[in-house]
Amino acid sequence: MLELNKLTIRSRESVLVEEVSLSVGAGEWMALVGESGSGKSLLSQSISGLLPTGVGASGSIRWNDQELMTLPARQLRKLRGKEIAYIFQDYQGAFTPFRTIAQHMDEYQQVHGEKNRQQRRERSQQALESMSLSVELLNRYPFQLSGGQLQRAAIALALLLSPRLVIADEATTALDSVSGHRILELLRQKQQETGCAILFITHDWRHVRRYADRIAVMKEGKVVESGNRHRVLDHPRHPYTRQLIAAAPMLERPEPTLRSGLEPLHALEGQSQ
Amino acid sequence: MDIVKKHHRVALSMRRLQPIVLVAMLSVVLCACGYAFFYLKHDPLLTDLGQRLQGMSPQHPLGTDHLGRDTFTRLLLGGQQTLGYSLLALGTALLLGIPFGLLAGYRRGWVDRIFVRISNGFLAFPDTIVAIVLSGLLGAGIGNLVMAIVIVKWVNYARLVRSIVLGEAEKDYIRIARTNGLPSGTIMRRHLLPHVIGHVLVMASLDLGKIILLISSFSYIGLGTQPPLPEWGAMLNDARPYFQSRPELMLFPGIAIVITVLLANMLGDMLRDRFDVKKDDWSREVPS
Repeated sequence: MLELNKLTIRSRESVLVEEVSLSVGAGEWMALVGESGSGKSLLSQSISGLLPTGVGASGSIRWNDQELMTLPARQLRKLRGKEIAYIFQDYQGAFTPFRTIAQHMDEYQQVHGEKNRQQRRERSQQALESMSLSVELLNRYPFQLSGGQLQRAAIALALLLSPRLVIADEATTALDSVSGHRILELLRQKQQETGCAILFITHDWRHVRRYADRIAVMKEGKVVESGNRHRVLDHPRHPYTRQLIAAAPMLERPEPTLRSGLEPLHALEGQSQ
Repeated sequence: MDIVKKHHRVALSMRRLQPIVLVAMLSVVLCACGYAFFYLKHDPLLTDLGQRLQGMSPQHPLGTDHLGRDTFTRLLLGGQQTLGYSLLALGTALLLGIPFGLLAGYRRGWVDRIFVRISNGFLAFPDTIVAIVLSGLLGAGIGNLVMAIVIVKWVNYARLVRSIVLGEAEKDYIRIARTNGLPSGTIMRRHLLPHVIGHVLVMASLDLGKIILLISSFSYIGLGTQPPLPEWGAMLNDARPYFQSRPELMLFPGIAIVITVLLANMLGDMLRDRFDVKKDDWSREVPS
């Protein structure tokens, strides 16, 4: 569905992303993993032509049958939000402070061609309800919502028009792990309902383990390894991937211990790990 | 302790009253000038040499000028001219400056580069000098003066708007609006413009006084309103030769200018205080 081919992003001084080839299939949960500064976010921004000024991309980005690199700005804009939606890390500033949630949602549907006012309203309500938020929040301003509500509202806004690809750029980084998982569960639920694909950008292996179908690992602007979750997690080929997996904090199942609780059983039996 | 509280309460009620009083006084000035649209007891342009340089009388409450025209009537009509053209100049400068600033700040790129060059050029000269040169080039007349003022002033507004937009456009909600596919026009109009309006209003109301002064002083030196139309600055100039015998002829338009400019400046200060979020607002509560 989405296919990046030899995508290179460079600023005036340096090459930031080098010849990345990547594909995301329909209904797939694709995780893009890598340390900070490895070019993950730039990659995601380049997909809908939102690179910061002074940074240019070359290569090919195919979306279904369209080549996005050469698509006129107007058509690219229509694609954004309607077919490709983004969820960002910072949900606190996700809404314009002096506009209500309803105004955001209404405007958003309006620019994407929904003319019927009643229909827009109903859709906004459904979107909030599907994120288990109260409909009353529609007429509130962003500062009147709690952090958790804001983030769910931001996701509701991103999913409002049932996009076919959701790009979650470090969507859970700012959250504690419980709310992070809650959000991702919601996303997965949404994905099962609508069949959208998710490009999940993160450096958190816990989430990758749990949700991803496929994984691509980025290092210094290059994809060093990609493949199915089990292939990458259980049989990593690239030393960097192994390093990342080894470095990830993981809670193992508690080992059976002696009554004293001092040492694990297998240590006594002479097993080593 | 009690006296402090009482003092505070008085100060508080003064603060609350200030905007009301200010707006009321400005309305009086505006209404008086507007009233002249509908009814004038005397023809402000009709010369009557038999009546020249009369003192105050029931017939002519503020006397007559050197051509026998009623001063009060001319003062009202002059107010229309001064205030009307000031507001016209200000409004046009706003209409030009705000969109340009939004565009330069949001779009960046070549629009912004060209704009920065122009505004730096204007910054190198004081407003008044540029206005004098421009109205000298364009020729005397109120239309040209207004144009000169607009040319001088719009850059300031565009600069202000640009600097605010530059800061705001980097924020997440604008980024998200863009990733949601909102067109640039909509983002500028609905998501950036409201941020800008408050700041622009403050600057505009502070500028109003300056523009009134500019128009009056240009009319005073003969570059603004042309006779026989009255204008406060021009009236000052007309009365100059008679200052020894009839000083009040200069006094009335002078007072009118002072009051109006003061009111405009106070309004500007008040608006600035209102919009200034950094200043902690002690007037909201009475300490217990």
